[in-house]
Amino acid sequence: MDAIPSDGAQAGATPDLAIHEIVQKLQPLLDSGRLDNLIDLLSIASDIVDLLDCAMVEKLATLFEQTTSVSWELGNAVRMAKSQTQALEHPDSLYGLLTLLREPDTRRGVGLILRTLNVIGRQL
Amino acid sequence: MHGGSAVIRIMIVGGGLGGTMVANQLVAKLYPEIVRAKVKVSLLSNSAEHFYKPAFMYVAFNQFFEEELKRSERSLLRPEIDFQVDEVTRFDFPGQTLHTRSGQRHGYDYLVIATGCVPAPERIEGLKEAGDHFYQYEPARQLAQRLGTIKRGRIFITVSFPQTPNVPHQCGIAPVETTLMLDDFLRRRGVRDKVEIVYTYPTTAQLMRNCLFLQRPTGEILPGLFEQRGIHFQRGFTLDKVDPDQRIAYSAEGDAQPFDILMATPPIRAVDVVIASGVSQAQGNEGWLPTHHETLQVYGLENVYVIGDTVDLPVSKAGGACHNQAPVIANNIAGEIRHGSADAIYDGRVQAVAQMGLNAGMPLWYDYTHDVLPTPPNKLAGLLRNGFNRGLYWAVARGML
Ligand SMILES: Cc1cc2nc3c(=O)[nH]c(=O)nc-3n(C[C@H](O)[C@H](O)[C@H](O)COP(=O)(O)OP(=O)(O)OC[C@H]3O[C@@H](n4cnc5c(N)ncnc54)[C@H](O)[C@@H]3O)c2cc1C
Repeated sequence: MDAIPSDGAQAGATPDLAIHEIVQKLQPLLDSGRLDNLIDLLSIASDIVDLLDCAMVEKLATLFEQTTSVSWELGNAVRMAKSQTQALEHPDSLYGLLTLLREPDTRRGVGLILRTLNVIGRQL
Repeated sequence: MHGGSAVIRIMIVGGGLGGTMVANQLVAKLYPEIVRAKVKVSLLSNSAEHFYKPAFMYVAFNQFFEEELKRSERSLLRPEIDFQVDEVTRFDFPGQTLHTRSGQRHGYDYLVIATGCVPAPERIEGLKEAGDHFYQYEPARQLAQRLGTIKRGRIFITVSFPQTPNVPHQCGIAPVETTLMLDDFLRRRGVRDKVEIVYTYPTTAQLMRNCLFLQRPTGEILPGLFEQRGIHFQRGFTLDKVDPDQRIAYSAEGDAQPFDILMATPPIRAVDVVIASGVSQAQGNEGWLPTHHETLQVYGLENVYVIGDTVDLPVSKAGGACHNQAPVIANNIAGEIRHGSADAIYDGRVQAVAQMGLNAGMPLWYDYTHDVLPTPPNKLAGLLRNGFNRGLYWAVARGML
């Protein structure tokens, strides 16, 4: 049994060999009295699986999308704006900034920020 | 390799999963060139919306609303991408130009074709009239209405493969997934004991013959899985024609089977503009583009790549394939631009979590040289699949995962 290679070749091992291999790996944890922690962790993981249902996963997944999409959009915008700004030889002139403000996309962005503040205010 | 100061134009056609992922990953890969305006990435799609197509399968069982399965394509694309809603009506490959429905012409230096495929039930006599399917939203809604009201009878399931040898139908595991979902759905409705389910498979399924699935290991576990649930199954039924009045499905092997609902995986084909380009060598005017199985370039064309459902490769026409093809194309185009060679290689990898009934899932992967090794379906994988359907997918499309 000592001849079991430890490189993953035990995938096709018989159940006896597999159990022996697992026991060997767990022995140090057992010796130091720490196996209980792992069993507790397993039982928490198992509780979580029991508690999760489709509706909760749907809520978590939606939350995931909402947070990642906002951070993705903000990150992309800052990265693009930063590289455009860095590419300028001189900082924007006052007139240049006003020209930027006149662009429909800029006005849409400013509108979004003002509306966001408005909604935040409404909730105060 | 490109010298001089002209902008290199990369044009992507199709804003589905393949096109969206490639566009986002090209921007990430070629960011220094994009910032210096040396490279421009554009995406043309005939739809302003992006659909999570696998959700159509759930629509058939009243598990998804239309509003939940789509997002605006613009919201999935990085801001550096020039996105236009327009339909490509002609590829002029020698002139490196695209013609569009709005009358515009777009020149390109690199082109990625990502126009997917479409169901073509009209290719089998009577199927369009009498059959149902879940590969598009409206047909899936119609099927949902039928499945939600059937009280007794016979649901007959058929799978049609493309005529082109060794090319699969869309999403290989979908017929098995929906058969198992159907069983659960009818049990929930309390009518399962009065409705017979018959799963059939054609004689030729890519390289396999007389089987229940296109890969041997999975095919071998299916009889056990079906017997447990009282699902009948039949090999060697290649749907040939349907009699809508008598409600009988005829096979090319000479069999005739009655049905109350015919839940079919219909024939598929590439979109019109790809077929009309004349580049395809596929049988039956199916239009699959001749694809280099490693670099994903289109044979016989310069600087043209293809991704997703339009390829003629033996791997599943699935999002899980696009996911592994997109980085290869992004690396190959970046490699061609930067040092004149396309060195990244696609190994045929596809991964997914199959929906095995309404609650259970089965993670799977395979590539050109390995088949899927089926594992016991379980609840956790079912929840993972649900999480993917409801949220993770959009992060994948954005190129975040
Ligand atoms: C019911 C169902 C279940 C599925 N289940 C799974 C699953 O569980 N796992 C999985 O991995 N995959 C699954 N798939 C497959 C997956 O959805 C597809 O493989 C994937 O969407 C293919 O991506 P694509 O980019 O090639 O094509 P598509 O996503 O179809 O995108 C094509 C795009 O091109 C656009 N277009 C078409 N013609 C033109 C034109 N002439 N000009 C401009 N634009 C054009 C279209 O509007 C569309 O946006 C399933 C598919 C279906 C239908």
